[in-house]
Amino acid sequence: MNLLVLLTIAAVLVVIQVGVTRWVNLNRLAWMAIWWAALWAAFSYGITPPLPQSIVVLFMAIITIALLAYLSADSEELAQARQTLVSFMVEKRYQVALIVVILTLPLLVALSVFSSLNQAPQPPASGRTIHPVPPASISFEGNTINLSTANNPYRELEHSDPEAFAAHVDNGRRVYFENCFYCHGDNMEGAGQFAHGYDPLPANFNDATTIAMLQESYLFWRIAKGAPGLPPESTPWSSAMPAWENFLTEEEIWDVILFLYEFTGFEPRAQGMPH
Amino acid sequence: MIRFITLCTVLIWAAEASAQQANDLGTDEQREAGKVLYDIKCAHCHGYSGDAISVATPFVRPTPRDFTSGNYKSRSTASGELPTTEDIRRSIRLGMPYTSMPAWEGILSEAEITNLAYYLKSFDAAFAGPYGNPTVVEVPPAPGYSDDPDHLARGRAVFEANQCADCHGDNGRGNGLSAPDLEDEWGFHIRPADMTKRWTYRASSTREDIYRTFMTGLNGTPMPSYQQSIEEADRWALVDYVWSLSRSTPDYGTVATAIGQSQALDLGDPLLFADAPEAYFPIVGQVIEPGREFNPGVNGIAVRAVFDTTHIALQLRWHDMTAETASHNHPSLPAPLFNPAQADTSAGDWSDAVALLWPAATPVGLERPYFMFGDTKNPMSIWFADLATDSAAALLGQGTGLITESDWPIESTAGYEDGMWTIVMKGPRRMGEMTFEERAFVPVSFSVWDGFNRERGNKRGLSAWYHIYMEPIEQESVLLPMAKWALIVLLVELALVGLVRWRAGRRDEY
Repeated sequence: MNLLVLLTIAAVLVVIQVGVTRWVNLNRLAWMAIWWAALWAAFSYGITPPLPQSIVVLFMAIITIALLAYLSADSEELAQARQTLVSFMVEKRYQVALIVVILTLPLLVALSVFSSLNQAPQPPASGRTIHPVPPASISFEGNTINLSTANNPYRELEHSDPEAFAAHVDNGRRVYFENCFYCHGDNMEGAGQFAHGYDPLPANFNDATTIAMLQESYLFWRIAKGAPGLPPESTPWSSAMPAWENFLTEEEIWDVILFLYEFTGFEPRAQGMPH
Repeated sequence: MIRFITLCTVLIWAAEASAQQANDLGTDEQREAGKVLYDIKCAHCHGYSGDAISVATPFVRPTPRDFTSGNYKSRSTASGELPTTEDIRRSIRLGMPYTSMPAWEGILSEAEITNLAYYLKSFDAAFAGPYGNPTVVEVPPAPGYSDDPDHLARGRAVFEANQCADCHGDNGRGNGLSAPDLEDEWGFHIRPADMTKRWTYRASSTREDIYRTFMTGLNGTPMPSYQQSIEEADRWALVDYVWSLSRSTPDYGTVATAIGQSQALDLGDPLLFADAPEAYFPIVGQVIEPGREFNPGVNGIAVRAVFDTTHIALQLRWHDMTAETASHNHPSLPAPLFNPAQADTSAGDWSDAVALLWPAATPVGLERPYFMFGDTKNPMSIWFADLATDSAAALLGQGTGLITESDWPIESTAGYEDGMWTIVMKGPRRMGEMTFEERAFVPVSFSVWDGFNRERGNKRGLSAWYHIYMEPIEQESVLLPMAKWALIVLLVELALVGLVRWRAGRRDEY
């Protein structure tokens, strides 16, 4: 919401509604035009992130019908509005204005055709699923890992043996800074040295919608199998994420997962909770 | 005599005391808070003892700063001196662009950055000593930038008189004659800055920053201070000359528009690409498959494209410190899985090379070959030019290590001039199942091998997928649809007004 814009529009409407109509006999058509323009401005500039143009067009069509229905509900007002239009088109004193309107409208249409045809063509947009559904199980160095039940085998050390746990986290730190930080960045915000060269951008682990809402087994799958292991809806041919099973041991992957949560301060989602 | 000695002792003691007082070392609390943060955020590169002995150091070039050495690149103090606290804070805030040192502004608070700066100072005892409080080289307020030819010519004369081109090259592209032999304080090769790319300047890139770098030099590198050798009146002329060679942002593109033409493409025509707009794409290290390259020699490639009824030609240009044209190179050469940044073979063992990578079949929907070298399901067509030879060849990529010859005829020209390669490759618009149709967005990616950097096979600089847009040869006029719609609206208006007037007229009659 862009409150400043919305408040300004509301203030203008209130001034017109209360102030102007009390002393000036505002024509119903002008009143409609003002409401129409105000609502258009509110939809186009008052909402962040901006609504797509097609949605704004849809809303304005509904509002046009609503305003016409409002107008036609009162036969006296309808007659007044119709009379205004008819006299604009018929009476001699409006002749110059009428000619201007008749000539201006086609010019505006021609202009909009020109600008729509001159837009630089856009490459095909690629929609991709960020968190695809993982497979039931994966095979890692000959072992089958069931993703819905697998837990980080070193997680329990956090309470039973803090010293051993710290050693695993430290090993995860080593793995991260030997392999991951070129893309995912020093601060894990996905802004590493090479991040600008890849599309999709490397994941930002500080964001609440990445590792904070995933189970550790999910991370294991994404790290071990990388982009080539993604299903088609996640465009595996675009992502630069390597299949780390080619470089790292199972223990190293679980360790780096510990380090990701330790560094960002997030807790992994517990097993058995729905996605 | 005793009185004299006492006086001296008192004076020395007073001088030391005042020096110590003046040294800006922060409080114990600040340094302790700095240490906690340092161990979390900095130690994995700079080492827990500040000596740059760490897990990341073997893979990172330029190497992380060794804080025990007292050598700081970006400073406001005279050459060889220690930095001020503010200098260290600035380096942390802004980082070192295009190295592994990120900008911490916005991630750490100003107080945290200050605490870190004080903790860094504690790694080197010199900061507490008599040289710990260096004087700042004042940068006078910058006059407005002037592109007056006389002013720039004066800057150029200063550039020549101070032998800037020896390292940075005649046009500042980082390709001076001595560039291949430059070493930093620790004996590692160091590239002179490509002055044309202001966004990569380490000690940041305002005109004041450039002036300061000329005055202070970059400690630990071969970049000296020119405070003594360049007169004050000439300094801004040199800054503006360097400014005139450079751009502020890379302005990376995602689409290169290929211009269609009806006459046949002639690679000998120097104006072949004159009307084609240039798109600049980032090149980054291949860190995904064996042959990982953490320090690619090339960081961007400029692309222009044209086509006729049967062929498409692309011009590829990039800055390269040296042209390696002696040996050979090929995408299928083996490269070690994971080699640290130390040179594993000699410079000159591998030649420079470049490749254009296309899908081997026009993609259906969004699916494209895996962007490395494709795979068996979705192969890639690779137009490869080994710049040690005069020719280019088409290859078929079905994955790393699965690269075979293919028959499509590729013509090419190559030239290296003043630190820049210019390669043109021309191939057919129809290669089996792959076609370059007008109005299509054709996926393309790029690979560049810098022989000096020992790049070969999968050890390379590469890009993600981008697009070539095939702008039609026959451009349809927009006048016709404009006139059509204007006329339709006009007729509807006239009909409406006519109808209303006719009905009003009839009403008047009765």
